[in-house]
Parts: sequence; structure tokens; C-alpha cells
Amino acid sequence: MSQAKRRSVLTVNGEQHHVLAPAAATLLDVLRTGLGLTGSKCGCNHGVCGACTVLLDGKLARSCLTLAADVGERRVTTIEGIAGDLDFSAVQRALVESGAIQCGFCTPGFVITLTELFARDPHPGRETIRAALSGNLCRCSGYVKIVEAAEHLAGGVR
Amino acid sequence: MSVDQGVFRPASVDEAVSVLARLPDARLISGGATLVAMINARLIEPAALVSLAGVDELHGITENPDGGWRIGAMTRHRDVAAERRFTGTLALVQQAASLIANATVRNMGTIGGAIAHADPGLDYPPALVAADAQIEIASGKGRRRLPASEFFVDWYATALQSAELVTAVHLRAASDGVGLYHKLARVSGDYATVSVALTMSSGVAGIATRAAMGACGPTPILLEEANALLSGSPGESELNRAGELLAAAADPVDDVRGSAEYRRLLIPRMLARAFTEARAAIGART
Repeated sequence: MSQAKRRSVLTVNGEQHHVLAPAAATLLDVLRTGLGLTGSKCGCNHGVCGACTVLLDGKLARSCLTLAADVGERRVTTIEGIAGDLDFSAVQRALVESGAIQCGFCTPGFVITLTELFARDPHPGRETIRAALSGNLCRCSGYVKIVEAAEHLAGGVR
Repeated sequence: MSVDQGVFRPASVDEAVSVLARLPDARLISGGATLVAMINARLIEPAALVSLAGVDELHGITENPDGGWRIGAMTRHRDVAAERRFTGTLALVQQAASLIANATVRNMGTIGGAIAHADPGLDYPPALVAADAQIEIASGKGRRRLPASEFFVDWYATALQSAELVTAVHLRAASDGVGLYHKLARVSGDYATVSVALTMSSGVAGIATRAAMGACGPTPILLEEANALLSGSPGESELNRAGELLAAAADPVDDVRGSAEYRRLLIPRMLARAFTEARAAIGART
């Protein structure tokens, strides 16, 4: 079935896209190769590292484990849709201000995960933040600054 | 049912079964958390996919008239982890779900997909065996049910026959007792190195305990003899003996999570910790 291509319509960051991709193509493949949205990264390609994390109808999903064919009507939000072209979201600003960036490869996934966390809990505590981030790996191991950035945003550290 | 370039979308269990009967090399896709990872790693290349997303009866948790529960096969780990109605002895099912991988994967993976995959390191198999859950299976001939202890038969192997699928997990009504799931893992979100699932309730004949060990053999390990030792009024010697029996029955592997020898050492310790915690919780209640 891998050769068979299928047409589908994906709503990504508020825009509808007509895509033609192999039936077994993942959402990550389609975002990066089909739509040129390369902010979502392919790290492990089996759901462990979190670099490909996107939102489907506001819920966290691994785009590497989601078949594009299975997205259906759900709205996809990628890192490109988190803020305007010349702007940062509050989460992104918090990461910048805390210097919570080293190589940057994992950052889009962390931003998406934190965006989802702050959407449902504006004032998470340290343990809530750490639990929420436990599915995102930073191979520079820059976790301390990332957690600090989230704590600043939550107002938990003064 | 719509069919689109190798992806079938049945609207009912009967339609799904008929596709499987016609295309034995087709694979069911529920949450995708494991199947798509295997496709990405080129471990499998399914001839076709059968998406269960559109089969309404597979979604959600419902209470049966007898106080038991039916968890539809497509129920996400997130929803079981958030299920506060699983009280008493059933709390271990909710605890096991809450320890699966990470929040994002819990949004995707399903109970039916997990148990049909039957990786021995998963959290559900020992929890469902300890809870004495029943697995509901559909085929062209109708439905059948198997105890979880008979559903898991070997490494990555279940009692599912060709053209069968898991439709639900049934839990009996909770007893007023304690259900615990403990998992030892290298880091948060990893597969278990060893896990223990345990239910305990108390009655006139003392306590009744049912324990299953996970990740230390092809299938969860539950021994009636060990459970008998852990029931009534067990002391330290009975607890030690039960741990020895379970360790002797284990068939662990050497892998990156630990050696077989290490896992055998963990079994009695994990059991004792869970047993002691459950007994303290029961004692605090009576």
C-alpha cells in the first residue's frame, strides 16, 4: 500500500491544504515534505523524543505516529501556527527570556507541549510542569532552563 | 464503509471483521502509537490498513447494570487515566493507564491496541490480569470473552485468531479494597523493567490478594499458589515464599533495562512493597 497515493484535505494553522501523499505517510512527512512546514522535527520517528509534537484540535499528538490519512477533520497546529510571523507567543518569549535554548532542535516540540499545558492550566506548579514535559527530550539536556522558563510564565518563581 | 487507497474505514465491528476476513494481511489501526512506529522503522508493511476510528461502539467507558465496566477498545489511555469512577480494587487500572509513556502518547494510544500488541513491557497486561478483566473479542461468528490471563499467551502473542479483533475490556464491579500498580522504570515514560499489579480486599477470612507481575516474562505472571499465600492472615514468611515462587516462575530477558538476574531480584521486592502498601491502606480503612 505504500506506493498508493491518496488525496486528502488537511487544515493546518487555520489554512486548508490539498495534499497527495502515500497512504502510509505520517502527518510529519506531509507537514515537512508536502507543505514545507519544517518546524516540526523528525527526531526518533517512533514517538519517544517529542520533537514532532503538534496539536490536533488542541490536543497533543506525535505527528510521526499519526497517519495523515487518520487526521480527518481535526485541525492541526504546528509551531508555525503558534504566533504571527513577527511575533512570539508568551511561551516562546518565556523561553527566550530564560535562555532556554541550546541547539534548538527540540524547541518546537517543547513550545507546543507548553502551549497546551498553559491553555488548560495558566498557573502550573513545578511538578505539573515537569510531568507535562516528561515526553519531550532535549539532548543538550537543557531541562533546567526550560522548566525555569515555564515556572516564570506560571508566576511560580519571583 | 469508505475505502481510500488502502485505508478502510468500517463503520461497524461487523464491517471491520469482514475486511479482515477478506484481507488477512491488513492491519487494524487504532491509536497508531505502536503500529505507525513499526511502519516507520520498516518492521512491517501492511497490505492495507483498517482504521477503527469510525466504529462508535469501540469508544468510551460505560458502566454495566451489575456495577462492572466496559472499556471500549478504542478508549485512549488518557481517558482511562482520568477515570475517577474506578475505585477500590479497580484503581490499579486507572493507575496503570496514568503511567503509560507520556501525556502525548496517552492522547493517542488505546487499550485495545495496547493489549492486542501484547508487548510484555506494557502496563495494561499485568493490571488487567490482576483485576481479573475479561477481554471481549469479535469475529465473523459473533463475540466471545476470555479472561485476561488466557488472552496473553506468549511474547507479543495473544489468543486472537485470524480475522478477530478486540472490541472491549470488561471489569467486574470494584470490591471495597485496594488496587495498586507499581512500575519500576529507568526514567518516567519508559517501559517497565518490572511491574506489579495487586488487588486486596478484606473479609471474614482475612485478606484476599491477587497479584500479577509484569515485564518479567512473555506474559504477566499470576500464580494461584502465591495468591493463596498472600491471602488469609499472611506473615513475613508467606510474603517471602510468594515472592520466591513468582521469581521462580519468571522468564525475564537480559536487555537494556536490566539483566534477567536483576529482574529476578526485583520481583520479590516489588511484590513486598506493593503488598505492604496495600495492607497498610486496608488497615487504615478498617
